[in-house]
Amino acid sequence: MSVLTSAKEIRGPVGWYRDPWRKPRVLAGITIAYLVWSLLPVLIAVMFSFNDGRSRTNWQGFSFRWYWGDQSRSVWHDASLHTALFQTLKLGLLATLVTVPLGVLFAIGIDRWRGRLPAGANVLMLISFVIPEVLLAVALLFVVTSLALPFGLGTSAQVVGLVTYQIAYPAVLVRARLATIGRQYEEAAMDLGASQVESLRRVTLPMLMPAIFASTVLVFADVIDDFVLVRYLSNGSATEPVSVKIYNTARAAPTPALNALATLLLIAAFAAVVIGYLIFRRMTRNDETSGSGIAAFAGET
Amino acid sequence: MPVPIGSGPNRRQFLQRAAILAATAPTLGAFLAACSKPAGTQGAGPSLTIAKPDSPVKWPIADDNKPIGDNLPPEKGATLKIYNYADYLSPQAIKGFEDQYGVKIEVSTFNDGDEAITKLRSGVDFDIYNANYTEISRLVTGGLVRPLNHSYIPNITNVWPTFTNPWYDQGWQYTVPYTIYTTGIGWRTDQVPADIGKLSNPYASLWDPTYKDKTAIIDDFHTAMAMVLLKQGITDVNTSSADDLKMVGEQLTALGKATSPKVTITMYSDMPAGQIGLCQMWSGDIINAQSYLPEGVGPEILRYWFPQDGKGLVDNDMLVTLKGGKNPVLAHLFLNHMLDPAVAKENFSAIGYQPPQNSLTAESLVAESFIPENLKNVIVKPEYFDTGYRTLELDTANEDAWRNVWNAFNSGGS
Amino acid sequence: MPRSREPSNRLWTVLAAPGIGWLLLFFLAPLYVVLAIVFGQRDPLFRTAVPVWNPLQWDPTQFTYVLTRIGPGEVYFPALARTVVYVGLASILCLCIAFPVAYYVSRLAGRWQGLLIALLIAPFWISYMMRMLAWVNLLQNDGLVNKILSFGGLFDVNVDWLTGQPVVVVLGLAYGYVPYMVLPLYAGLDRLSQSMLEASRDLGASRVSSFLRVTLPMCRPTMLAAVLLTCLPMLGDYFTNDLLSASPKTAMVGNLINDSVQAPGQTGQAGAFVMLVLVATVLPMIYYVRVTLRGDEVRT
Repeated sequence: MSVLTSAKEIRGPVGWYRDPWRKPRVLAGITIAYLVWSLLPVLIAVMFSFNDGRSRTNWQGFSFRWYWGDQSRSVWHDASLHTALFQTLKLGLLATLVTVPLGVLFAIGIDRWRGRLPAGANVLMLISFVIPEVLLAVALLFVVTSLALPFGLGTSAQVVGLVTYQIAYPAVLVRARLATIGRQYEEAAMDLGASQVESLRRVTLPMLMPAIFASTVLVFADVIDDFVLVRYLSNGSATEPVSVKIYNTARAAPTPALNALATLLLIAAFAAVVIGYLIFRRMTRNDETSGSGIAAFAGET
Repeated sequence: MPVPIGSGPNRRQFLQRAAILAATAPTLGAFLAACSKPAGTQGAGPSLTIAKPDSPVKWPIADDNKPIGDNLPPEKGATLKIYNYADYLSPQAIKGFEDQYGVKIEVSTFNDGDEAITKLRSGVDFDIYNANYTEISRLVTGGLVRPLNHSYIPNITNVWPTFTNPWYDQGWQYTVPYTIYTTGIGWRTDQVPADIGKLSNPYASLWDPTYKDKTAIIDDFHTAMAMVLLKQGITDVNTSSADDLKMVGEQLTALGKATSPKVTITMYSDMPAGQIGLCQMWSGDIINAQSYLPEGVGPEILRYWFPQDGKGLVDNDMLVTLKGGKNPVLAHLFLNHMLDPAVAKENFSAIGYQPPQNSLTAESLVAESFIPENLKNVIVKPEYFDTGYRTLELDTANEDAWRNVWNAFNSGGS
Repeated sequence: MPRSREPSNRLWTVLAAPGIGWLLLFFLAPLYVVLAIVFGQRDPLFRTAVPVWNPLQWDPTQFTYVLTRIGPGEVYFPALARTVVYVGLASILCLCIAFPVAYYVSRLAGRWQGLLIALLIAPFWISYMMRMLAWVNLLQNDGLVNKILSFGGLFDVNVDWLTGQPVVVVLGLAYGYVPYMVLPLYAGLDRLSQSMLEASRDLGASRVSSFLRVTLPMCRPTMLAAVLLTCLPMLGDYFTNDLLSASPKTAMVGNLINDSVQAPGQTGQAGAFVMLVLVATVLPMIYYVRVTLRGDEVRT
């Protein structure tokens, strides 16, 4: 209150501190510092992928050696790195293709269904969201090695594990969106004569498209970085994706080719998300019920 | 939107549900039992035939596991799958074989033998496996390895004669030797100025608090614990004495408190990078370490010690062909390829581990400056195999006891 | 004739069935398999785990072996205690870092908000391995951190960051998981009504008092959700410790699981630890679900 009663404006740091409408410099500083701390090591790692020498800590000049120059160890020439990259993309596509429809239908069903069972299923889904990944990986490893299932260790087991782990993601995003939309559009459609299924298909699903799309992209980006599940459920170097490769080699003697591989993956994930976001913006440009910022894209409406 | 807030299951409902669950569990159990995989092999009774240097073993060849026939053509356009440690096979050796036979080679890696055997049992189709004789009994009895047809491997004459009739596989029915190595102590003179080799008990240097946070021991329960036994002067490195194991446990706790070592198998890159100054090390790793030194640091700072009388841990790795593999002829040919003197020597320079080739004697290696003067102790001499101690396969109960001690150490004191 | 306005449950059952089926089959059933292995037998030759399906034939040896060793003063207690301590410290650290950042970005960022959110989300699509690898690079003895600390040769700083330093592991955990906390906090703080905060200031509360007595209590459910979302997955982390410090001195329960799963004869013990961590994860989640369901709003 003394600020208001004082006739003179107080300048300097004290004045700044007392001004209720001041610019939040401290918080801004913290945020910038956080972003630097968060992203700088990665930028440095990306920078070293262009290193001319073998070291990952001493800068020895700029070159594309580890991307395609080096005859035996660069990403372009090393077949094992190709295999890893293909496996990553394959897992990403397969897992996403299965997870998203499964999760979306699950979300719609659970949201509308009344009863104890769906409440229990909801809790189960939430638990699968926060469970430490290693628990699921070990449990599935036991299942695959003890039971005579139609699939063994390898890509199929990895996809099963990834879907189980990721299914909560689209489920949560779609449910949040359903909560925002409300039932009125669907009910209006049914009033106008549509059956349940029709109103679902022609009214609700299109309105959910942004959430579905966002969850597709996010699940994809999450799956290609997954480590614990795919490592436990792999059956040899042919089914080891990039993340496992990085882990295996990082504990031994990595060359900057590893940084190059990780950079390529980063670019792939980044491109997927950017393209997804642009399409999301296009899809929601006339939609008032959803935000169209990046936050809405990430499901945080 | 609100969810109906029930009062939760009341007691009767809860008991009802628990009863239903209890009733279904056995049927679920029976169902799962019907689905489950056959429980592996029943083996030749619950105890393994343990091979020892003074009681050699000639393994039986099962009727459903006969070696392949003679003069078969190599599989065309196939992918040969090798299961090996990381960085343990020269890329040039691989490429040479690929070019010679027009095939592809795929190398999968494991971090330790246990992980490997578990993977092998889960039905993978690797062709070649880098085994150790501590596993040979399990591998043979479990039906995982394929017997060799010697006509495909004439290069066996290039290796030390003892390997044509080793105690762990008389008549080399299943194995060919791959590398020989000793387990000693390695250090860097810039971090550890003392000459560890001149100490009265070099193993004890790992317990010296002067080297805190600079040490490492090998991440293998048997190798590490055997070293502790040797430090205390116990030469039976496969002991089943409960007192000895208890002592090992106490020594390991003391080790953790004194120097807090890393537990790893990557000393060959960690020591050149400067993370480690003194560690228990395989002889091949210190050779390998030379190529991982950063620019500006010369290899003369590396040192290795192993008892001169050969009374230390001595070992050899072997290559076996796996029964589950789809390319047996190529597998045999690859084994032959690795026994070729030129290939073996190139492999030596790539991975640092010495092959037991007749052409590579201690004198020739030093004369050709293949091994630098400061690392002369690395060379494995045939005499070591007479006096050295081997870490053998342990029987079930003993191995459990050993592993429990190791687990306790690995879960860390503070 | 107008159709019934009350949709029958059948459609929703059909829609949800594949998802529920999948979760039951690949999430719940494997937990039973874990039980069957923990209480099962061991193959006499390879000592791999042989599951025993019938609960009446379960053998509790392996489970009791682990159970008797997790009490204070026993062998596995340090690892468990250490996990709780590390995860607790890392979570608090994450909260202290994430809250100001989320608060700033959600309420005060103005026109930079879009860019900042994009940068906040960026770590999600950078591989966790790569972020850890980046730190391994920096923390090596000849890495940038030591170089900076020695001010280009003025001091001889030779700290071994990567050999068993608990501080490094805690910071590594915080670094890895803090993005998972920022976004939910952002979402929750975004929903806070500005008018409530202004009202408290108008009524005379000081800045600090207004924050402590109005803002924080309103954020509590969000903070709880964010902490759970970050803290629970951290319980199973083993690779952070593996990469940043391969020493038993900093072993966490995830390492105990990882080390014994493939080791002959030890698989049952791994399963027992899996059960323990599962209980430690599920109980807070169930408590959280009950707490939020009691409220008027359901937030996912």
